[in-house]
Amino acid sequence: MRSSFSKLFTTGVLALGLGSGLARAADDTVKVGILHDLSGTMAISETSLRDILLFTFDEINAKGGVMGKKIVPVIEDPGSDWPTFAEKAKVLLEQEKVAVTFGCWTSVSRKSCLPVYEKDNGLLFYPVQYEGEEESQNVCYTAEAVNQQAIPAVDYFIAQGKKKFYLLGTDYVYPQTTNLVLLEYLRSKGVPLANIGGGFKKDETGKIISAGKYTPFGHKDYQQIVAEIKDFSASGDACVISTLNGDTNPPFFKEYAAAGLTADTCPVVSYSIAEDEFRSLPAKDLVGQVGCWTYFMSIDTDANKTFLANFQTWLSATKADGVVKEGRVVDSPMVLSYDGVYLWKACVEKAGTFDVDAVRKVWKAGVSFDGPGGKVTTQPNMHLTKTVYIGESKADGQFKILKSFPDVYGEPHLKGTFKAAN
Amino acid sequence: MSSPPTVPLRPLVRSRHREFLVVGSILGLLAVGFPLSNAHGWMDDFTITLWGKYLCYALLAVSVDLLWGYTGLLSLGQALFFSLGGYMFGMYLMLQIGMLGSYAKSGQNPNGLPDFMVFLGHTFLPAFWRPFQSFSFAVSMVFVLPGLLALVFGFLAFRSRIKGVYFSILTQALTYGAALMFFRNDFTMGGNNGFTDFKFILGHSLVEKGSGPATMRGLFVVTAVLLLLVCLGCHWLNGTKFGLVRQAIRDGENRVLFSGYATANYKLFVFVAAAMIAAVGGALFVPQAGIINPDQMTPDKSIEAVIWVAVGGRGTLIGPIIGAIGVNALKSWATHAYPDSWLIILGLISLMVVMFLPGGVVSLPARLAELWRRRRPATAPATGVTKPAPDRA
Amino acid sequence: MSWNSIFRPLLRALVVGIGLLASGRAWAASESPRATIVRAILTTDDTQKRDLIGSLVGQGDEAIREIFTAWREDDLFVYTAPDGTKIPVELTGTKNSAGAQTAVRVDNGESLQDATGHALPLAAAKLTAVGHDARLRLAMKNVVDLLDLGSPLLAKRLRAIQTIGAAQKADKIPVLEARGRVETEPKAKDALRAAIAVIELADPSDDVKLKGLAELRELHPASCYDLIKVARDKAETAAQPAVAKAATAALAAIDQHKAVVNFYGTLFRGLSAGSILLVVALGLAITFGLMGVINMAHGEMITVGAYATYITQHIFGEGMNFTIPFVRLAIHLPGMHLTGWGYQMFFVAAIPAGFLSAALVGVALERSVIRFLYRRPLDSLLATWGVSLILQQLFKLTFGSNNVDVATPVYLSSNWTIYDVTFDWNRVFVIGFAILIVLGVWLALTKTPLGLLIRCVMQNRTMAACMGVRTERVNMLTFGLGSGLAGLAGVFVSQLGTVGPSMGQEYIVDSFMTVVVGGVGSIFGTVVSALGIGLSDQSLQQILLNPVLGKILVLLAIILFLQWRPTGLFAAKSRSLD
Repeated sequence: MRSSFSKLFTTGVLALGLGSGLARAADDTVKVGILHDLSGTMAISETSLRDILLFTFDEINAKGGVMGKKIVPVIEDPGSDWPTFAEKAKVLLEQEKVAVTFGCWTSVSRKSCLPVYEKDNGLLFYPVQYEGEEESQNVCYTAEAVNQQAIPAVDYFIAQGKKKFYLLGTDYVYPQTTNLVLLEYLRSKGVPLANIGGGFKKDETGKIISAGKYTPFGHKDYQQIVAEIKDFSASGDACVISTLNGDTNPPFFKEYAAAGLTADTCPVVSYSIAEDEFRSLPAKDLVGQVGCWTYFMSIDTDANKTFLANFQTWLSATKADGVVKEGRVVDSPMVLSYDGVYLWKACVEKAGTFDVDAVRKVWKAGVSFDGPGGKVTTQPNMHLTKTVYIGESKADGQFKILKSFPDVYGEPHLKGTFKAAN
Repeated sequence: MSSPPTVPLRPLVRSRHREFLVVGSILGLLAVGFPLSNAHGWMDDFTITLWGKYLCYALLAVSVDLLWGYTGLLSLGQALFFSLGGYMFGMYLMLQIGMLGSYAKSGQNPNGLPDFMVFLGHTFLPAFWRPFQSFSFAVSMVFVLPGLLALVFGFLAFRSRIKGVYFSILTQALTYGAALMFFRNDFTMGGNNGFTDFKFILGHSLVEKGSGPATMRGLFVVTAVLLLLVCLGCHWLNGTKFGLVRQAIRDGENRVLFSGYATANYKLFVFVAAAMIAAVGGALFVPQAGIINPDQMTPDKSIEAVIWVAVGGRGTLIGPIIGAIGVNALKSWATHAYPDSWLIILGLISLMVVMFLPGGVVSLPARLAELWRRRRPATAPATGVTKPAPDRA
Repeated sequence: MSWNSIFRPLLRALVVGIGLLASGRAWAASESPRATIVRAILTTDDTQKRDLIGSLVGQGDEAIREIFTAWREDDLFVYTAPDGTKIPVELTGTKNSAGAQTAVRVDNGESLQDATGHALPLAAAKLTAVGHDARLRLAMKNVVDLLDLGSPLLAKRLRAIQTIGAAQKADKIPVLEARGRVETEPKAKDALRAAIAVIELADPSDDVKLKGLAELRELHPASCYDLIKVARDKAETAAQPAVAKAATAALAAIDQHKAVVNFYGTLFRGLSAGSILLVVALGLAITFGLMGVINMAHGEMITVGAYATYITQHIFGEGMNFTIPFVRLAIHLPGMHLTGWGYQMFFVAAIPAGFLSAALVGVALERSVIRFLYRRPLDSLLATWGVSLILQQLFKLTFGSNNVDVATPVYLSSNWTIYDVTFDWNRVFVIGFAILIVLGVWLALTKTPLGLLIRCVMQNRTMAACMGVRTERVNMLTFGLGSGLAGLAGVFVSQLGTVGPSMGQEYIVDSFMTVVVGGVGSIFGTVVSALGIGLSDQSLQQILLNPVLGKILVLLAIILFLQWRPTGLFAAKSRSLD
């Protein structure tokens, strides 16, 4: 028995040692971490971020790398298990000693590995729209802040003459916080409480502290909620602000379409549906639904066309494991990952070193990059100034751009900014 | 339906005292050796924290084994008790952050609420949170709440003589319901994000460059020693009459019942004890992993813990520990080397162990020895797969 | 603002439109609607575009609807002829090998011809679609709405009437009254009255307002709720107690109506939720209830059915390629390139496909794993959990980690509205289908020789074997049947929810609970418990206005219920211990 135990023991130790032995960087290379879920529930969204990062690294390496050093990716899969994010972040920072990490999608994964990045003074690039209210010195938020996504879309609906707003989301921190900010914003625009649907939550003193209807992850049955929306929108001037998470969108929209609701009678703006998510939705039934992102694939510029063409070429040529080659699309989180890598490269080259403190200093001083979605500029508060687009979905799953707002400053702290007008 | 006969288990070590000695010395060695080598810089901080986590999982696995391996109760609720323990201790850790949270720094949080509450618009601490300022209260709640839940649930279930797969399905439902509850942000337990960003435990920093690793070493020692104590307790229990009745319940509950034993009480005691052991594991897991959230209390996590036990060897003292450490070390490696295949590997392991090695890894040497013995006599080759002996070829 | 620009031409056209709608006489104008649309397409000025479209209000030409639909769905393109003239065309029909489709000219509805007089197909990829935005679509909708006022379809007429009413423009009352004189459908008649009444609310005179409110109180239309509320609030601030009182009464009438609608709506939603639960759990009622096997991979059988639907859909359409992981076997499924009703029948073909594929996987699982574990139910739980992990990952590697889109056939994608209660066709279909398969399973188990064998093997395997029953085969077939039923469930839930590698996991706890509550071994018990759980879940959602709390309460109730009746609702009576 002793032998079998010790065998297992050594396997364990070996297993751990192996990780550090695999990708030891030589002098003319620099190690960069990728921390995205490749298995488990979040693999749906994050696998494509891994792909775009590999593409970006290859593109940069082909042009000579970062300060003459070739990027060597170190890929870790936390498997959609949040404690594992902290463990894998430690592997990247303490064992692999990566210069920078690109990773995370969900807020909880970011929160899980954030203490590790702060403790070890690492740098994490975070590309997915999020709730704000955070400003870590060890995270570069290339993501959309609430004022770069939620608020422009609401403005658009108000301009369209919509008077009633139904707030619907999945029960986690991003929808909760976004709706809290939107509640304040709508009140500041003079929308009465009676015209905000989804319900309110009050604290012990009776003060309204949040608004909206929340469903759990993986919720399947939207009959009751759609019936409520149908009732709410009977007067014909209502819209739905949806922060439903990816998986719950198909059952919601299938129910919505079956109940006879359409974008013409009661449009929905979905903050979590980009081109990638659209592939699992009945696009024909959803013509005219609204999305709001910093990038749409349909942007008609040469830079974007070149970018898309290069990505397709890379896809057909790459030999990387697990990269699906057919039917691929590009969306905002992917482009923000791409922009992030180039911004990091610019910062490193300006600083003349990979040192995190030096890179951060350059970031705070302001660096720009002309990405596929337009120019992005770094800000002192670790966020990005970027162009925001509002688009409506077409029958082919693409978005038609209705409006764009150039150079929107990313503002993470919005709660309490807007005062009620009535 | 006939009662399920348990798999004949062939303990690796015939003498249970020898088995305990082995477990004890290994754990003792870990408890001393790892922190020492870490303090001397021979072992990095990452490894010791990782092994600390493994040992917490081992506590969970021991609790599963206590129920399943020794008493024949397959509970799919152990992850719930593990997380409950974690949440109870996590509440204390959250309140220790105090004015170091990101809101408090920017002056938006004068009462030092945990950040997620400020997120949700709260301005003062809910009443049920307040006592968790105290370390001893939190520690006692680690035992009390999971123990109480196990007591009530177990009392009802065992009184109605719910057993076998029904017990599994019912505990699964309980776990699922609790996870749904904790996922709700309205529950003011952090929702999907759970608790993170801990800073202090009893005044010792968890994150600082200088003192953080020392705290982690301390936590590691506590975990290893507690695991050792739990093993000692189990070992002692196995030798008592109580332990024997318990195993008799596993092998034929009705006979025990008809012999005049109130089996429900025995099962209830084991169920509550196992809940508390799992809860301790969870409480120690939280500061070492740095996070607790409802994903840790889904039925799937319970099944995973059962798989560790099955892999290591059910009904043994050392099996669950080997299983918990082995499977998790394999996971750490496979998610790095073969991210696409990890779930397939785990699935195959559970399938293979159940089908071909019901006694787990610890039964492997005995099984091999038996195969060897069977092969030797030239008269009857045991199975078709054994190679013909040279003299018969 | 934008409203003005839409309504100005609308009103202009209305005056003329009234004549048409009332008398049905033909419209005589200088320009055909098609020509107007062509001008609208070709102009670059957005305001002019909307004005041109607005000028079509009141037109009765059905071609307008067809062209607008094509426009909305991006099937309209501008073709530039060799001589430089721009010709708007609509691309329809199947694509040929070069990706080109038949081009129909918007200006005359005939197919586009080249110089030699031959039909000239065009490829969409080489042209740009004619653009549209929300405001333009709204303008189109207004045209179509009035077109709809005379539409033979009731639903369209109703929507058009409501839209006109909600605008509260007094000058539209004549057109509504005119329609009311020729309208025969009682529902539409009521809607017309309500629309007129709600327009009257905007009238300055109190008497007219009161008349309108009395009418609304009698008709209690939910769509007018907000406008009545506005009228009440105005009356209260303007100190007009009579109007305020009448408005309050009208609102109360609507509230009461809503309560009734909600009651029946909840009943229907509960039935449909219960039916889905039933369809999902029925397979488990056989594998777990009858055979005693804890199949944690039951959810994956549902996934197999859903992916079978996905594959069938592609075979009916363009075909598909995928690669089986590890062996790297590339599979090409040729498509049948069907369109229209032929394509829509994919769902009908998916029903047997889903059943058979899941049944096959089930049989394979039984032969390779489960048959060794009949006497170790707890071990079968662990082994099948492993199988479920493996299957999920295989689905992911084969079909990608993204969820896939399964189309909804037209015959399932609409609804009936009876007394304001919405009955979605897909839900009605699920209820009907649940009844059918329960009936089928009951017949198969009680009226066929195989059913007799299944029942006797499940009751006492050893005894049955002694009597010469080939228990191995019966086990295999029973498990196949249970898995096949799960596959059928997969075909249906593909219409209602997400189709992806892990979708099966969502159903596993619910289905086990349903079977346990119903009483293991009793199909009838499963039916009762599924409907009971579905109804209580939906009613709690309705009462608590919270989708999660209801679910948690139902789970808690189930756990407590099982303490009281550990064997479930309808347990098979047995004298055996355990």
